[in-house]
Amino acid sequence: MLKKQWRLMVGLLLVLALVASACAGDDAAEETTTTTEATTTTTEATTTTTEAVEETTTTEPEETTTTTEAIPRADADLVIWADDTRTPIFEEFGRVFGDENGISVAVQEIPAIEEIDDRVIQAAPVGEGPDIFISANDVLGGLVANGVVEPLDLTAVADDFAQGAIDAFTFAGQTYGLPYAVENIALIRNTDLVPDAPATFDELEEIALGLVEAGEVEVPLAIQQGEGAPYHNFPLFTAFGGYVFGTAEDGSYDLTDIGLDSEAGLAAAQAFAAWGESGLMDWDVTYDIMLESFGNGTAPFAVTGPWAVPNFENVNFVVEPIPPVLGGATRPFIGVQGIMVSSFAENPLIAQTFILDFLATQEAQEAFFAADPRGPSHKGVLAGLADSDPNLAGFAASGADGIGIPNIPEMGSVWTPWTDAYQIILQGGDAEAAFRNAADQIRTAVAG
Amino acid sequence: MVDRTDVTEDPPSGPGSAENRGERSPRFSFTPAFVLKLLFLAAVNGLAIAGLPAMLDQGWWPGVASVVVSTVFIDYVYLSRRTVPAKYLIPGTIFALIFQVIPVVYTGYIAFTNFGTGNILTKDQAIERAESLYSSVPGSQRFQLSILASEDGEGELALLLTDEAGNRFFGTAAGLEALAPGEVVIDDAGKVLSVDDFVALNLGQISDRQDELLSLEIPSELGLVRPITATTAAVYNRLYEYDAQTDTLTNLETGEVYTPVQGNFTSAAGESPEDIPGWSVVVGFDNFKRILTSEAIRGPFLRVFVWNYVFAVLSVVLTFALGLLLAITLNHPTLRGRRVYRSLLIIPYALPSFMSALIWRGLLNQDFGVINELLGANIAWLNDPWMAKVSVLLVNLWLGFPYMFLISTGALQAIPDELKEASYVDGASPRQAFRQVVFPLLLVTLAPLLIASFAFNFNNFNVIYLLNSGGPPIEGAQTPAGHTDILISYTFRLAFEGGRGQDFGLASAIALLIFIMVAGVSAFSFRRTRALEDLT
Repeated sequence: MLKKQWRLMVGLLLVLALVASACAGDDAAEETTTTTEATTTTTEATTTTTEAVEETTTTEPEETTTTTEAIPRADADLVIWADDTRTPIFEEFGRVFGDENGISVAVQEIPAIEEIDDRVIQAAPVGEGPDIFISANDVLGGLVANGVVEPLDLTAVADDFAQGAIDAFTFAGQTYGLPYAVENIALIRNTDLVPDAPATFDELEEIALGLVEAGEVEVPLAIQQGEGAPYHNFPLFTAFGGYVFGTAEDGSYDLTDIGLDSEAGLAAAQAFAAWGESGLMDWDVTYDIMLESFGNGTAPFAVTGPWAVPNFENVNFVVEPIPPVLGGATRPFIGVQGIMVSSFAENPLIAQTFILDFLATQEAQEAFFAADPRGPSHKGVLAGLADSDPNLAGFAASGADGIGIPNIPEMGSVWTPWTDAYQIILQGGDAEAAFRNAADQIRTAVAG
Repeated sequence: MVDRTDVTEDPPSGPGSAENRGERSPRFSFTPAFVLKLLFLAAVNGLAIAGLPAMLDQGWWPGVASVVVSTVFIDYVYLSRRTVPAKYLIPGTIFALIFQVIPVVYTGYIAFTNFGTGNILTKDQAIERAESLYSSVPGSQRFQLSILASEDGEGELALLLTDEAGNRFFGTAAGLEALAPGEVVIDDAGKVLSVDDFVALNLGQISDRQDELLSLEIPSELGLVRPITATTAAVYNRLYEYDAQTDTLTNLETGEVYTPVQGNFTSAAGESPEDIPGWSVVVGFDNFKRILTSEAIRGPFLRVFVWNYVFAVLSVVLTFALGLLLAITLNHPTLRGRRVYRSLLIIPYALPSFMSALIWRGLLNQDFGVINELLGANIAWLNDPWMAKVSVLLVNLWLGFPYMFLISTGALQAIPDELKEASYVDGASPRQAFRQVVFPLLLVTLAPLLIASFAFNFNNFNVIYLLNSGGPPIEGAQTPAGHTDILISYTFRLAFEGGRGQDFGLASAIALLIFIMVAGVSAFSFRRTRALEDLT
């Protein structure tokens, strides 16, 4: 009697369990293998011709600040990870590509582009990563060191793209990504307050401080300090001949040659101390204060990138290169975004076909540009820019002689010491000692 | 089968009720609660079954075994009548395992590895990466490509290559041969259909035979012809070759030989190629040795360590003092509007602390912040080393006192008034009554919570990092550190903002050390608390 009941029960359980597991599907598998992680805001749209894969949109409780929860790979031949701006483009071109060739393409939206590289590093080696993903060039070295990105032979399309953008995705002699956007900072001038462009940075300082003294403005130069200081101060730093890492004979970076305590770097340190002293630069200007002060006309100049421009619609302004400092040209950091293939891709050949045959075209590159007007990397798109968008043309002019952010993983140990050094300098500390110490800190960190 | 009358006679009150019905004949009765239990068990089993294929795929046998054993055990416990205690113990045990034991054990394991940027793969994966690297032959041309296969697309793979001059070549794993124009069957659109019995593959078929295609290398005079995309091919050379016998990797261009050292292929000169990844290995006590011996890490360590204790202790003392004071005040029965006050006081507690910290960061901004504007002052709240410490403590006080207020109110209300009255009868002043009767009783209840609060604040990363990023920086420090950095934020800087990226091994080692410190302080405090309990 008892035995019979047990058998019935076990049988029933098994049936129910099978039903439940069928319903749970892949997500359940994910939950059991990675116990503490859960799916978050995944928007996947799957298009296909051979089979009908439903469109699913799951939105679960929003993310907290620091945890990155795993997003399991979508079920399709070709899986793409992109941010919200780029997702519709990949969906559109993926649909055409999939329809033509009878394969299924899924695009998964990752909340922010800055998160994608870390997520790929976590997910790819365990087979949960995408075939294709987008990221910025400054994380390339880390991706290569971790072995999660596949070389992408760009020779066939290289002539259509700006050389600097391709260089940004070159690491140890191999190219790894198809660039689609280039961005850098420039000087933004309020044309009501300052009708004529200053010819030199000294002139800019004079005008700006004069306006503050006259009580017309509150912030002489809205240049973001705090966390982004090394990035935003870099053009002024380069005007003295400063650099981050020196280059060895074979063109690779020399990690023992740190530009901060070079003669040029120390001269720059003195200049920053002087600008801090005169009140031109202020450590307390954060990104928000930069946006607010220039946006409401209480700052005559701002130094920022195309991402901030939408906040400036209440003032008249032009975008132009930062004027030279004591005759030295200002060269901003160039950041490049690109499309890469995971080395753990399930379909690398199809992924490369999609990128090189479908996304390297002017039509696709124009779609990337239209979705988020940052500087294009495609020469054909770039050509029509001056007429269509003077602001972007201004950013492009500023970045014409820019310097690619070093894409080696060691760049990660530069930002914090350098930020600390700028804080010490702008708050009246010993400028040369600050840069010397930062260079030592970087050397120690790089040496491990 | 289902005894209906049984259900109506004896409606169960919960999942556990079936067991309590004593000596009845053993039988499963399909009450609603039982069906619910069954559904729950089905879900558990379903999860296990859904998870198994992935584990079987990866051949992770310990995982498979533990899932099977634990699932069967759970089924048995909840279906049997003889396992009442286990029914109550199991959920707690499972959650303790998942959320406490496994993370601690895993952190402990990672602390003894070099896991981090450049060392995240397994050795096999790293070798596979190295062997799949090719260098393109300089100046070599590109071919238009059609991918073909014999036997209706199921058999041997072949590449049909067309160079820029229009010459056609037919390549298989055996080699490359020139083709006469007539041998290729082309449709009206110029698309290649077949060569002999080799037919063109579509992208779907190519996708299915991806792995074969990627390992297909067609030898030619210039090098190896390989597909770049489904429609183009080029000539490449292999970059690395791994020899399993000697466990070495050779660069085929330079002839340099690399041997594995601590999870990286390393040359005799001690250099590792930057285009191939390392892998994660157990490195013993290396991470701990680095913490203890590295000049860079030790440099600011002591200052950070001392401030960490000061911060945690002062945070607890200040929040408790303010919370208790308010609790006593608002506990006074004659005070009007106590509820309103109490609700208002809990607001800082109800806001997410990371939001509050960011808001305070803006308020305390020296030149543009609201606080200096209101005071008409120019106080360097976050930029001066001492003021920054004060600011951190003040913000943490603001964030933390409502919790202390809540628990103090609760504890105060639990102390019978008679005790206080009795002490008055014995001639105690109100102050004496509080100090010698109420406060010790209060501590008996609250001491464990205060210890927990200490442990929490010892690792209060949110407040430190979001308010001021640990700043202002310590001038002349060997490694970047700030005047308000505590161990956990200092660790974050070391492990995630220095070196080559992320160093999980080092971070875990420091986390273990912090764990030991906090556990030590807590154990000591709990022993002291037990002495308090003897008072009552």
